[in-house]
Amino acid sequence: MDLPFIKVENVSYSYRGEGDAAIRVIKELSLEIDEGEFVAVLGHNGSGKSTLAKLLNMILTPASGKIFIEGKDITDENMSEEEIFALRKNVGMVFQNPDNQLVATIVEDDVAFGPENLGVPSQEIRRRVDEALSKVGMTEYAHHEPHRLSGGQKQRVAIAGIMAMLPKCIIFDESTAMLDPIGRREVMSAIKKLNSEMGITVIMITHYMDEAAMANRVVVLDDGRIALDGTPSEVFEKEELLRSMGLDVPQCTALVHRLRRAGIALEGECTDPEKCADLIATALGKELGNG
Amino acid sequence: MKNIALGQYYPAKSPIHRLDPRIKVILAILYIICATFLGKNIVSFGLLLVSALALIVMGRIPLRTVLRGIVPVLFVMAFAALFQVFGRSGEMLIFEWRFIHIYGEGLFAALFMIIRIFALIVGTSMFLTYTTTPIELTDAIEDLLSPLKKLKVPVHDFAMMMTLALRFIPTLVEETEKIMTAQKARGADFSSGSLVKRAKALIPVLIPLIVSAIRHAVELAVAMECRCYHGDGKRTRMTVRRCRVWDFVALVIMIAFGAALVYFNILGIGYSL
Amino acid sequence: MAEISLREVSFRHGKGTPYEICALDKITLDIAPGVITGIIGHTGSGKSTLVELFNGILKPAEGRVLIDGEDIWAKPKEIRKVRFRVGLVMQYPESQLFEETIRQDIAFGPKNMGLSDKEIERRVVEAARFVGLDEELLEKSPFDLSGGQKRRAAIAGIIAMRPDVLVLDEPAAGLDPVGRESIFANIVEYKEKTGSTVVIVSHSMEDMARYCDRVVVMSGGKMIMNGSRDEVFSQSASLEGAGLDIPQITKLMTLLRDRGIDVDQSIYTSEKAYEEIMKLFAKKG
Repeated sequence: MDLPFIKVENVSYSYRGEGDAAIRVIKELSLEIDEGEFVAVLGHNGSGKSTLAKLLNMILTPASGKIFIEGKDITDENMSEEEIFALRKNVGMVFQNPDNQLVATIVEDDVAFGPENLGVPSQEIRRRVDEALSKVGMTEYAHHEPHRLSGGQKQRVAIAGIMAMLPKCIIFDESTAMLDPIGRREVMSAIKKLNSEMGITVIMITHYMDEAAMANRVVVLDDGRIALDGTPSEVFEKEELLRSMGLDVPQCTALVHRLRRAGIALEGECTDPEKCADLIATALGKELGNG
Repeated sequence: MKNIALGQYYPAKSPIHRLDPRIKVILAILYIICATFLGKNIVSFGLLLVSALALIVMGRIPLRTVLRGIVPVLFVMAFAALFQVFGRSGEMLIFEWRFIHIYGEGLFAALFMIIRIFALIVGTSMFLTYTTTPIELTDAIEDLLSPLKKLKVPVHDFAMMMTLALRFIPTLVEETEKIMTAQKARGADFSSGSLVKRAKALIPVLIPLIVSAIRHAVELAVAMECRCYHGDGKRTRMTVRRCRVWDFVALVIMIAFGAALVYFNILGIGYSL
Repeated sequence: MAEISLREVSFRHGKGTPYEICALDKITLDIAPGVITGIIGHTGSGKSTLVELFNGILKPAEGRVLIDGEDIWAKPKEIRKVRFRVGLVMQYPESQLFEETIRQDIAFGPKNMGLSDKEIERRVVEAARFVGLDEELLEKSPFDLSGGQKRRAAIAGIIAMRPDVLVLDEPAAGLDPVGRESIFANIVEYKEKTGSTVVIVSHSMEDMARYCDRVVVMSGGKMIMNGSRDEVFSQSASLEGAGLDIPQITKLMTLLRDRGIDVDQSIYTSEKAYEEIMKLFAKKG
C-alpha cells in the first residue's frame, strides 16, 4: 500500500462571518504530501493557508471532504482521545507568535512539556529534551527564562518543544513573520536541518518568497484553492500570475526573468542570488568563449 | 522591561539552593512556627538571631540583598518596637519623665520583637524567595497538596494556572508599557489631573491590554492542545524529585532547633517574658 | 516641515538596576526636513529607543533633543505638545485600538489636542483617506476589521494629529507583499502631499532601498552610518558587519564580482542592475 503521508481530499471549510453568513476559506482542496518533503505553502493574507494548517492538525474539522495522515482518517468524529493524541503527536505545529506557545518559565521545562503530556518516562524525556535543544542550538540556554530570549531564540525553543514529541511532520504557521532578519535566519536554518538531517516532513506556511525558495516544493493557495504546485523554480516562473495573487518573486529571480524577456539566454534555476549569479556568469562566459 | 525579576530568586549554588523545594516549604513553615511561638527568653531569642544569620551565610546571598529586602518592613519593626518600649510596664523602671515611663521589660520586649520579625523575614526569604524559583515553588506546593487530589481538589489545574500566570506576567508588563507609550504618543496624559481623570485615562490602556491577554490565552490554549496537553491525566515529569540524605538532615536539624528552643524556655535561663 | 536634531544624546535602560544597559551612546544626528529618512539596525541596536527620544516619550540621560532648534525638554510640563508635533506610530500599532468605532479611535489624538468637534471630524476623514481606509469602515468596531485595516486605522490615528514629523516603527511588519507595498505607497503619498518629514524604522533593507531618501544605520547603540541612500547602500560590507541583511540585488552584484565579472558594487535596485547587466551582454555579444 503506497499511500502518501498526508492526503487531503476535496476538503472545504467555512467560518461564520458577519450576520452568520458562511465564508468559505477552503474550497474543495485536494493535496498529497509525501514523507520527507519540504513544502512551502504560499498565499496572501486571507488565502486560506493558515486554515489549511489548522485542518491538518485537527484544530479545525473540515465541513466536507477527508484528510488522511498515514492512511488514517483524521476527520473521523468517533476517534478516541488517545487516537487523537497519537495523531497530534505526529503532526507538530509551530505558530507565529513565539510568546503564545511557551508554557513554562524555564526553557528546558518548556521543551519537556509535550513529552510530559504524552506520559513519556522521565529519563527518556531528559534525553529527548537535551537532544532537541542541541539540535536547535539552544543547549546553553536550557536554564534561562523564555521572556529574556530574543524572538528567534524563543521560536527555536518552540521548535525544540515540538521535536521532543518526535513528530514525523512539523507545520510552521508563519513562524518567522514576527522575527527580525537574524531571527529569521536562525529559524530557517533550524527548519532546513530538521528536514535534511532528520527526515522530518516540513510544511511551511509563509509569505516570504526567499524562504519558499529553500523548499523542495511550493504550493500556492489563492482564494481557498491550489493555484500553483511545483518546485520553487517552476512556481517562480509564473511571475505575473503570482503578482496577480498578491505575491512577489525574489528580486533576483525577477531580474533574471526580465533579462530573459530582453532576449538573453539564461538557462536554469534562478531562485536565489547564488543561482542567479551562476547563470549570468556562465552566460557571459559562454559568449566570451564564442567571441 | 525584559528584565523584570520574577520573585526575588537569587541564583547561587548554596546548600539551601540544593535542598528539595518540598522540604524547603516544610522547613519554612517549621521555622515560622519556631520564630512566632518558641521565643520566650534571652537564650531562645539569641538562638533565633544566630540561626537567622546562619541561614543568610548558608544561602550565599549577599548581605546587602537581604538587608534591602528588610527595608520595606523597617517601619513595621520600628512601630512594633516603640509600642513595646512605651506601652509595656514592669518592675525595672529605667527612665521617667512626666507621663513617659520606660521599663527594662519594655526594652527587652522591643528587642525580642525586632529579632522575631527579622527571623521571620529571613526565614521565609532564605528558604523560599531567594533560593527557590517560583516554578519550583509551584511544583513543590502541587506535590505537597497532592493528597487533596483524592478529595477531587483540582490541585494540578491550580498549579498549571500559577505556572502560566508566572510565565505571562513579564509578557503582559512589557505589553502594558508598549500600549502606554503608544497612547502617550497620541497625547494621553496619565500623570496629571484628579484621581477620576487619571483612572479614566487608563481605559485606553486597559482595553487593549485585556484584548491582548485574551488573544494570548486563546492562542496559548491551541498551542497547548497541539502539544497534547489534557490536564493531569497520564502526565509524567522530566525531573522526578527524590529527597536525598541532606534533605532529611536539614529536617532533623530544624526539628532539633525547635526542641532546643523549647528546652531553653523550660530551663528559663536569663530574662524571660 | 520641521527638523529634529540630536546633540550628543545618550540613554540608558534600567538605570540603577543590575540590568542597566547603555542603549544609545552620544548620538548626534539631524533628521532632514521634508524627506523620508530610514533608520535601520537589528534588534537591540537602539533604533526603537532613538525614535522614542524624538517625541519625548523617553528623556535623554545626557545631551539635547531639538525641534527646529528648540530643546524639547526646556519646558518639561509641555512635553505633550511635542508628541503632537512628532507623531509616533509604534510597532504593531493595531494593538492600541480601544474605542468602539474606528472613527472614535482615530479621533483620540485630535481630542487630546483639544480641537473642536468639527475640526476633529475633518481630520478623521482626511487621515482615513491618507491611509486608504473606506469611509464606511469608520463606523465599524476594530474587531470587525482585518489585520491590515486595523494597522491603517492605527496609523490614521497619528496622522489625524497632523504632526510635522511622522515616525513609523516597522509599519509593514507581518504584512504580505501586496500589503507592504500599499502601506509604503500611502506613506510616500502622504509625504508628497503634506511635505511632512517622515522617519521609518525597519530592518528590511529592500524596503529602505525602495522608499527612503536618506538612511541612518544603528549598531550597538551607536550611529555607524548616516547619508543618502546611495551612499549607505554602496557600503554593503559595513552593513553586513552590523548584522543586517543587504538587498538581494546588492548581494547579486557581490556574487558577480566574486565570479570575475566587473560590475558596479554600489548598485542596489533592480532597475540599475538590469541596465548594468544588459550593458555587459551588449559589450560581449
